[in-house]
Amino acid sequence: MKFKIKTIWHVKRFHQLDQEANKRRCDIAILIMFLCLVTFCARLWHLQIVQGEDFRQQSERNRIRSVRLQPPRGKILDRTGRLLAGVKPCFNVCLVKEDVRDMEALLAKLSPLLGETEAEIRTRLGSEQKGPKYVPIVIKRGAEWETLSRIESRLFSLPGVFIEVTPIREYPYGSIAPHLLGYLGEISRKDIEEKRYKGARSGDLVGKYGIEERFENDLAGVKGQRRLEVDAEGRLVRVIDEKPPIPGKDLYLSIDLELQQASEEAMKEYVGALVALDPQTGRILALVSSPAFDPDAFATGIDNKEWEALNDPVSRPLQNKALQGRYAPASTLKIVVAAAALQEGIVTRNTSFECASRFRLGKSSFRCWNWRGHGQTNLYKALVESCDIYFYQVGLKLKNEKIVKYANAFGLGSKTGIDLPNESPGFIATPDWKLKKYNEPWQEGETLITAIGQGFTLVTPLQMACLTSAVANGGTLYSPVYLEKLTGPDGHIFASFESDPKGKLPISESNLRIIKRALVGAVNDEKATGNKCKLPDVLVAGKTGTAQVIGQAKRRQDKKLDWKYRDHAWFVAYAPADKPELAVAVLCEHAGHGGSVAAPIARKVFEKWFQIQSPLPVLRPCKTAFNIKSIDNHV
Amino acid sequence: MFDRRFLEHFDWWLFLSVLLLMAIGFVNLNSGSAATGYPFQWKQLQWYIAGTVLMLSLVVFFDYRLLTVYSVHIYLIMVFMLILIVFIGKTVGGSQRWLSLGFMNIQPSELAKLATVIVVSSYFYHDDKPQYGLTDLWRLALLMLVPIFLIYHQPDLGTALFLVLIFSSLVYMARLKWTSFLLLLGSAIAAFPLVWEFLKPYQRDRIMNFFFPGKDPLGAGYHISQSKIAIGSGQIMGKGYMKGSQAHLNFLPEVHTDFAFSIWAEEWGWVGAVLLLGIFFLMLYRGFLIASQSRERFGAFLAFGVTAMLFWQVVINVGMVMGLMPVVGIPLPLISYGGSSVFTTLIGVGLLLNVRSRRFMFQKGTRTR
Repeated sequence: MKFKIKTIWHVKRFHQLDQEANKRRCDIAILIMFLCLVTFCARLWHLQIVQGEDFRQQSERNRIRSVRLQPPRGKILDRTGRLLAGVKPCFNVCLVKEDVRDMEALLAKLSPLLGETEAEIRTRLGSEQKGPKYVPIVIKRGAEWETLSRIESRLFSLPGVFIEVTPIREYPYGSIAPHLLGYLGEISRKDIEEKRYKGARSGDLVGKYGIEERFENDLAGVKGQRRLEVDAEGRLVRVIDEKPPIPGKDLYLSIDLELQQASEEAMKEYVGALVALDPQTGRILALVSSPAFDPDAFATGIDNKEWEALNDPVSRPLQNKALQGRYAPASTLKIVVAAAALQEGIVTRNTSFECASRFRLGKSSFRCWNWRGHGQTNLYKALVESCDIYFYQVGLKLKNEKIVKYANAFGLGSKTGIDLPNESPGFIATPDWKLKKYNEPWQEGETLITAIGQGFTLVTPLQMACLTSAVANGGTLYSPVYLEKLTGPDGHIFASFESDPKGKLPISESNLRIIKRALVGAVNDEKATGNKCKLPDVLVAGKTGTAQVIGQAKRRQDKKLDWKYRDHAWFVAYAPADKPELAVAVLCEHAGHGGSVAAPIARKVFEKWFQIQSPLPVLRPCKTAFNIKSIDNHV
Repeated sequence: MFDRRFLEHFDWWLFLSVLLLMAIGFVNLNSGSAATGYPFQWKQLQWYIAGTVLMLSLVVFFDYRLLTVYSVHIYLIMVFMLILIVFIGKTVGGSQRWLSLGFMNIQPSELAKLATVIVVSSYFYHDDKPQYGLTDLWRLALLMLVPIFLIYHQPDLGTALFLVLIFSSLVYMARLKWTSFLLLLGSAIAAFPLVWEFLKPYQRDRIMNFFFPGKDPLGAGYHISQSKIAIGSGQIMGKGYMKGSQAHLNFLPEVHTDFAFSIWAEEWGWVGAVLLLGIFFLMLYRGFLIASQSRERFGAFLAFGVTAMLFWQVVINVGMVMGLMPVVGIPLPLISYGGSSVFTTLIGVGLLLNVRSRRFMFQKGTRTR
């Protein structure tokens, strides 16, 4: 070693010039290094301070996933607390797209597990292209147990896929009053953009119709949140914190489950509507629009065929005909016209007109439904047998103006004020309106047909039910309510609902009694049009109506006509006649005569009601106890 | 052998900066280890200690001038180890880079960096010319192509190119003729398409991804975008020690090796990152100063080569994690985990201190023997 060191001891040194060059090169290197340092510091400044906040958020999002905790939706119960719509868990297969590295491979694996084609899954993913990042997309709603267990056991090899449990509606008694309760559906893009529902995001179920829509904010509850810390693979590291969801409030309806079921059963074969009210309080006990629909279908998804069926232009299952169906009131309007005539002093209970089945006004001829004619007819007989000629005469004397005035006073032509969207106000025609619309003056003949409820007048079944209630309870017109109370899950009452008196019928008590007496006769008398609603032990009061859909030169039998040209059948009634508990309005579209079609339906409803009231076969205070004479005495 | 003048000429600043880097490296690796769940920091500490002992004993007991004699042996050992890898090398992550010595695995390509510096410096020492043309360099170039090709073959394109970079730095120090420089530059540009064809697809991806970032954020660019998020989210003061979510939740790849700077910047913020760069700057500045002040040709080349080696490692690694450079697996000296890298760095620093400490032997006007 020593030897070798000696050999190199004379190390080459730099020449003076070289040493300068050497120093210059090192100085340049130091300069370059310094520039690099400055560049790096500037770059760090840019990343950490200029863009720092952005990156901080990105890293937070990398780290924290928030999982929303769905609150159980509020229950909907009937007036006695029976569950109409509850909640049950629904298992959804969800996917966070951002966690998927290889979508093709994942879809290939998922497709057989879900039993759907890749294209089907892709369309569900594709439609959510724009939305915010890291939001789970539901690729299969309401998955079956079998599918779930298959996916659950393979979750490890399915990055980005997870199973979410959300509460959805269940209907323990089957679908009850779907038009009133409404349904849940996936929130629309428009609703999200307009921020109609707080904290809602794509794929959420929101109320789309009826009560579910109207009370969405109360029923939905407040969503909770669980914040999770996850790693790059999306695996859970720990739960950071949790804000529990607040369950939705429960809604007690005034609907009576049994009565509703019986009403739906009675209406099943018909297209139409039925409304049953408690005339003393204005509460709705049953509300049927037929045909019904299945509210579950909207939550799980509807195919084209089902959607077409729901939008069938003839039966219109999605329309709530009780509120939105507009029909000529036909003879049921005679209650209003009779009351007006009495009140205006045009007729007394003894005034009678001759009915010869035909009534001439100028060159036109107006007919009574009874081609034989009713002969001498007073007010009682005119209502009981529904004589048209009598009311032509009355209408002629009463003039259209008065008919309009009384119709309005009876709640026609304006909304009843029920707390549901899209209620129709119906329609009462005035000469001004006709002049404006058709540029034609009002004809007297039109007054005549208005007096028997034909012509331009349109009413909803709900309006007729309210009108009947008002007559039954002695003249108070209510805004109907379908709600009893809104309570928390612990039973705390947030709100109770009472119906507001909307107005008083402008009829004196004695005149109203005359009408009521005639309505009892219209059901119970031998020749009464509504005697198919006659009950053996309870006195029912009512009025039939048969609304012509087309003008007919000669009456033809309904069965020979096309369905859509057949008459609408009306029946309005209340019972017991002396102390009314229930008022019913029935409308069956294109079903024929009110007396033969609608009256038996109302009868079933009454039967059910009184069976509910005294389920045991005991003798209830019935006709024997009920004193027809008491009415007669009053009159 | 020991001389009091050793202490007088010992570069305390350089030594201090290295100690600081090791301290930071250990602290940082402590966090990185917690993130990966494997206690790297203790192994690294052993290497720091062993490396520092080696470094200091090199200063005291070894005269760097001996390397001019042993450079041939060093060259041959380097090539032998690289050839050995082809036959008995351990394959990790698709490339054959490791030699197992039983108690530890060494990475000859790391050591080859230092060997290149020694060999090339030694060459320029022996072949002393004021300027070099291509004709003077072809032998050296041929010599260097052997290890470069062997490392490229592993495959480790990054280190292979890195050797080219060290070689070029020393050629710069030795002064290349302008004509030769232009000729080299021209042929390099002309050869580029050929080299491109030669590259493996993932290597092309990395280069493409550097020039067109964001094209594939979940693919090749994923690591870099996560690294940028990590650095950027540190903001001024950082997220706090052991609280770097990007690193601890496995969003950052290779937190203990290539992306060690990212976790440091995430947890200590701009302040910490600039401090670390400042210490590196101090170390490299002292290194270049040693090269500049050396009065002896081999010492100047050796010091310049070692400093350039460290400089390029810092620039490439820090530039890469910030998204300023393509993804290349070059470790950050003393901060990244890895025994071979630590030893290479500390031996290199030992040589720097050695050159500096023996400066007194070439005082102006003094002639030894």
